[in-house]
Amino acid sequence: MTEADENDELAADLRSALKGGTTEDAPPDVLAGFQKKLRERSGGKFYEDGWSTSRHPPINTYLITSLMMLAILGLIYALLAPLSGEPVPVENAPQPVQIISPAAP
Amino acid sequence: MEPEDKEEARFIARLASRDERAFNELVVLYQERVFRILLRMLGRRDEAEDMAQEVFVQVFKAVGTFRGDSKLSTWIYRIAVNLCKNRVKYLKRRRTEAQDEYEAMAERSPMTSGSGVTSGDIHRPDQMVEGMQLERVVQLCIVELDPDFREVLILRDVEDLSYEELCEVTGLPDGTVKSRLHRARAMLKQAVERRMGEKAK
Repeated sequence: MTEADENDELAADLRSALKGGTTEDAPPDVLAGFQKKLRERSGGKFYEDGWSTSRHPPINTYLITSLMMLAILGLIYALLAPLSGEPVPVENAPQPVQIISPAAP
Repeated sequence: MEPEDKEEARFIARLASRDERAFNELVVLYQERVFRILLRMLGRRDEAEDMAQEVFVQVFKAVGTFRGDSKLSTWIYRIAVNLCKNRVKYLKRRRTEAQDEYEAMAERSPMTSGSGVTSGDIHRPDQMVEGMQLERVVQLCIVELDPDFREVLILRDVEDLSYEELCEVTGLPDGTVKSRLHRARAMLKQAVERRMGEKAK
């Protein structure tokens, strides 16, 4: 066996030994930590709010939130409007105002 | 220019303009590989995790200087390896026991690796145990290697980078990379044999 063959075999053995990896090898969520570090170091210039740190385009979040707010407002209106009914009639009619002319001297 | 190169150029332009969404994509795309390299280099999960975040922060800072002489991935690996080597030196100075966590991890792995596995899934339990032992021994021996040898071994034999990429990442000439890799493999083989107590397969 040549030296090159031996090296290739060793490399293959090494890959084979490490190919599975342990459960501890599972990568962490680097993105959140990266965004936090960058936000802190840039004084809030980058990744300044919760919206822009989303993995999805923020436009979706804004749009969905706006539509949900409108739907909730509509629902509240639909529920409360029938409860309001007609205006209650006023039983105590206001007394007519009497204007007393000043007495003649 | 190839369509793939055009796409990468557009992506790099987005990165250079500090597009946050482009950076999110970049991190998601490379985090696994970068983390794996760092874990093998440092031998400590907490250090590797922190360093992985640091790598992408450095990429964010320096992406404006990236001229596209090499592939974006190669450039990111170079940043990762350089940061890693600096960190190893720092930890050495601080007399930190760099292998403690990894050894503890290796001790735990038979239990954690086995969770959720039923006896029906294991065809040859003896082979599985042998495989896990060999993996642990190899991981420990890699961490014990000198960082200069460790980096070429991990990048070539574990991460499967080409010799050309290896030269770009390490900044070393082709001949040096090959001789360093040869010596690293020999040292690893020796260390594994020593630990296993018999000639490695």
